[in-house]
Amino acid sequence: MKQLEFKKSLKLLKKYDINFVASCVIKDESAFNKVKYPLVLKVFSGKIIHKSDVGGVIVGIKDKEEAVKAFKKLKKASKNILMQKMVSGKEVIIGMKRDGQFGPVVMFGLGGIFVEVMKDISFRVCPVTKRNAVEMIKEIKSYKILEGIRGEKGININALADLIVNVSKLSLKNDVNEIDLNPVIVDDKKAVVVDVRFMA
Amino acid sequence: MNLEKLFNPKNIAVIGASKDKSSVGYGILSNLASGCVYRCKYCKPFPGKLFPINPHADSIFDLKCYKSILDIRENIDLAVIVVPARIVLDIVNECVKKKVKGVIIISAGFSEKSKWGAKVQKELVDILSKAEIPMVGPNCLGIINAANSMNASFAPAMPPDGKIAFISQSGALADSIIDWSIENMYGFSTIVSYGNKAMLDASDFMRYFDRDKNTKIITLYVEGINDGKKFIRIAKKIKKPIIILKAGRTEQGVKAISSHTGSLAGSYDIYKAAFKQGGVLVADTIEDMFDNAKALANMPKLRGPVAIVTNGGGCGVLCADYCSELGVPLAKLRKSTIKKIDDTKKMHPAYSRRNPLDIVGDALPERYDVAVDAVLSEKYIGGLIVIQTLQSNTRPEEDAEVVIKAKKKYPDKPIICTYMGGKFTKKASNMLEASGIPDYNDVKKAALAMKALMSGIPR
Repeated sequence: MKQLEFKKSLKLLKKYDINFVASCVIKDESAFNKVKYPLVLKVFSGKIIHKSDVGGVIVGIKDKEEAVKAFKKLKKASKNILMQKMVSGKEVIIGMKRDGQFGPVVMFGLGGIFVEVMKDISFRVCPVTKRNAVEMIKEIKSYKILEGIRGEKGININALADLIVNVSKLSLKNDVNEIDLNPVIVDDKKAVVVDVRFMA
Repeated sequence: MNLEKLFNPKNIAVIGASKDKSSVGYGILSNLASGCVYRCKYCKPFPGKLFPINPHADSIFDLKCYKSILDIRENIDLAVIVVPARIVLDIVNECVKKKVKGVIIISAGFSEKSKWGAKVQKELVDILSKAEIPMVGPNCLGIINAANSMNASFAPAMPPDGKIAFISQSGALADSIIDWSIENMYGFSTIVSYGNKAMLDASDFMRYFDRDKNTKIITLYVEGINDGKKFIRIAKKIKKPIIILKAGRTEQGVKAISSHTGSLAGSYDIYKAAFKQGGVLVADTIEDMFDNAKALANMPKLRGPVAIVTNGGGCGVLCADYCSELGVPLAKLRKSTIKKIDDTKKMHPAYSRRNPLDIVGDALPERYDVAVDAVLSEKYIGGLIVIQTLQSNTRPEEDAEVVIKAKKKYPDKPIICTYMGGKFTKKASNMLEASGIPDYNDVKKAALAMKALMSGIPR
């Protein structure tokens, strides 16, 4: 299996109406002059599968000075550097893998330790209907966190469910073996993919 | 392909029938001739004609024995094959020539055993598919159709006749379930064990049972499914409730299966998701599956909150706990309902006056009658759990009569009983079961049954 090129990945997401966070590839430090902070810098490379394992993601960059410092640091790991708008909300993961029995299967879970440690995830076999998608969001044990606790605003479950349905559509129509949308940031208005990995 | 003659043949040839009591060929012919090897009151002989086939015998059980199926003059509906694997191909060719309408291959030694076996199995499927003859097996227990008195298997006996179809990839599990069902008066319409599923898989049988007039619920034990997508596609179209128990949920379990039936097992999480999408209820244990099936087979869908009537406070509270943990809604009793009960002047002054309705330990059948009727007559109450604990003055059988009467009067509301106890409650419990009222010996099971009825029939 090979990781799909970053630009092709973005094209594929766009084709299926899946929002990707505002991003641009940067070549040099001049990119930091006319941008809004805070922002995120990260490397992208077909060879790097887990970016954070190699220190390839730097978040919460507040000003130009920090940006230049981060840029220099990341340059050592890879020449491909991406600048992204820093978005806030709940962190979720949407994935897909192909099962020998059932074909493409979509996975949903809350980001971070919830997926890795608690194995708090739900699955649906494609095609995933909107109803299925809503069920799988509500099915995880940590759903209450997404609903918002102690006066927080809950997430827009509708937008998140649409995103899941679109991942299902994409999986059925394209020759992709695995998908990792990790994380997807979702707030009370929208769901935005912040990092993507297609394995073809 | 039409499976009708597999389940309802007018006559049967048993190829490999034997006089040797230790052989499977003897067991099958004996089961067909009498219904059972282990005698019980549910044993009934197959009503159609039987043709034992064995080149080395003239007669078995006073039945004329034939050297080959081709020597029989009549047309044959079903051939049950129980000969060594090496000659099964020849026998099947004879069956095709004879134009039988269905074949059950009991014999083992095919894809589960060797490459040679897998090759022959494929040939069998090719030949039979071309001739459009449905085949169950190989390496299976057979078919037991209790509704039509056909025990075409080497199971120990015939289960009581009922409304639940059981499709089992494991023959041995089905055998033990039959023994259990006789002891517990648990009825089955048909049990089919399909072994290597070379031609017909679980989904084909589901489709058959969906149209079978004797079946109301379809239960399944599966290890692996040949075509997961097909299974879900078919399950979605089935109108009757389906409950499934899947083995091979852990890596260890999957390893055991691979050496067992040669199945491909997917991840259990994915299976569960797929079953859910197909509208299939997933059971965790054997007990779970048959407990739920019993409720679904006998009771209507739960359409409103549940009332609990009990003569034991503790058991009522425990049951209420389980209901709320499981998301089964509990009714809040209205003042008008309490007034109705008060007006009869039959209650103990200390009765609970709320749900769970504790009618106090010394309750006689009269009190059950008042309470049961009062709650069921209310539109806002959707179903009832009746708990009975055994005190010195309790009258279990009369209490059972009360519930049986209520079932007739309120056929649209599910009633589940928990007649707790054992020896001295057994008779009342049997009365309830015989009247189609599910009785469980544990309040948690009653709550689980109500939970199943929330998604009950119609789906």
